[in-house]
Amino acid sequence: MKMLKYLLLLIAFGVAATLTIIYSGIVNVAADEAHSDFVYWLLQETRENSIQKAAQNIAVPNLEDPDLLLTGGADYAFMCASCHLKPGQSESDMSLGLYPSPPNLAIANDNHQGHEHGDDTQADRNNFWVIKHGIKASGMPAWGKTHDDQRIWAMVAFIKRLPTLTAEQYQILTAID
Amino acid sequence: MKTLTKIALVLIPSISLSMTATAHDMKMHAKKAEKADCSKMEHSKKGVKDAVTIAMMKKCMKQAKKAKVKMDHNKTDDKNIKKDGHKNH
Repeated sequence: MKMLKYLLLLIAFGVAATLTIIYSGIVNVAADEAHSDFVYWLLQETRENSIQKAAQNIAVPNLEDPDLLLTGGADYAFMCASCHLKPGQSESDMSLGLYPSPPNLAIANDNHQGHEHGDDTQADRNNFWVIKHGIKASGMPAWGKTHDDQRIWAMVAFIKRLPTLTAEQYQILTAID
Repeated sequence: MKTLTKIALVLIPSISLSMTATAHDMKMHAKKAEKADCSKMEHSKKGVKDAVTIAMMKKCMKQAKKAKVKMDHNKTDDKNIKKDGHKNH
């Protein structure tokens, strides 16, 4: 009986503490102030494991078709480059201002900080899922609401080759006809 | 006057909404329509059979074809203008 009393007290304390945090406004939501290491780790692990699990059964089509690079390139330049950068660019207003900072997709996966890609196929699956569904409270939109799967796979194909492109190749592939 | 206000209230939001609905057309994606700078085309290190090289060649060939068609059209238009000019004399 005593144990139950302590348990109820603990739950009441937890609820009170949560409500105090929510309604007091003491949590700083400003994007120009970083999370503590613990909160960052917690959010990052949750995000990465969620993406990994949601994307694990997606069938990856052939991404070697040159036409995919042309469609994906134009879309990337319009929808992604302002945050995820392009060859020869190391920062932009968006990449500096967003928190968490969007990964620089113009550099190889191994150099991305803060998230794992697994093997190449899993990286393609993850990219497809993220582009299609977006990520809550991160600035990453769900492009699947306005773009079909084929357009999204074209973007995945382009992103796959992006770290190997020179600035000149990028310009040609992303130019509008 | 009342009818005019009603029409304005219906038309303005409808036009604004329909403009946003077309925002995902590929051609509208280009803020500044930038042509491919094919003079700087360099082949991918993986060779001519690489997807990047093939994609660049496709883009540049398409662009060159369009430019040629445009030039041919201009020549035809010039000839027609000259012919018309002669007829009028």
